[in-house]
Amino acid sequence: MNRLLGARRLAPLLVSWEIAPSLVLQFEVEAKLDGSKFIEAEHMLLALATNPDSDAARLLKESGLDHERLTSALNEERHRTLAFAGMNAPDKKLVEATELDNSLSLGTSAKAALRRALIGSRHHRRRARLRSSDLLAGILEAELGTVPRALAIAGIDRAALIGRARGSE
Amino acid sequence: MPPADRSPLDGPADGLAAASALRAMADRLEDAEVERAMRAGWSWSQVAEALGVTRQAVHKKHLRRLLLAQIELRRRSGE
Repeated sequence: MNRLLGARRLAPLLVSWEIAPSLVLQFEVEAKLDGSKFIEAEHMLLALATNPDSDAARLLKESGLDHERLTSALNEERHRTLAFAGMNAPDKKLVEATELDNSLSLGTSAKAALRRALIGSRHHRRRARLRSSDLLAGILEAELGTVPRALAIAGIDRAALIGRARGSE
Repeated sequence: MPPADRSPLDGPADGLAAASALRAMADRLEDAEVERAMRAGWSWSQVAEALGVTRQAVHKKHLRRLLLAQIELRRRSGE
């Protein structure tokens, strides 16, 4: 998995795990909207929340998290983090640059989330089948980093949500 | 891994997250400012000197993006 590059190259593999191609593209959309050079776990989480029909979005919604609430929690996390170093989040225009037209790679937190999602997933004919709820659990199981920080700030019971994600049918 | 009862918002976690966020922010600021300087007609050498890195390093890191931005770049002889 470490050798995989951009989201488009990654797409066939994710699709083989039965992750919807539209979701894979949404990972990249969320990362680019955030001005990130990599797809990180928080972008995967936001992407999961965009499809209201998915199990992951339903589970998030039951915990009071939709795309808007997640975005706001992540913004709050960024403000708090920068404030630790005595800084304010910069005006987006100040750090606006032309985007490269390439496909984004998975960042470390996204790769780790996928790895955890696969470990906890069920298998069908020796092939991993990643449900959106497995992916959600893989993202939430990080103990440190942007996602657990944002969820802690939002007052979300992460352990309970992981339990529901892993236990969902 | 931190002890199970430790929050991801505790002191060291805050500081480490801040280091990571500042690195990402510095990177984005550099992209934006290099683009702004080149649009304003700065040379590769001037941008490199201001950043405290080599001309080759700036060139390697930013050329593709600046070409995509359709910025007219100064040739080396014109510096």
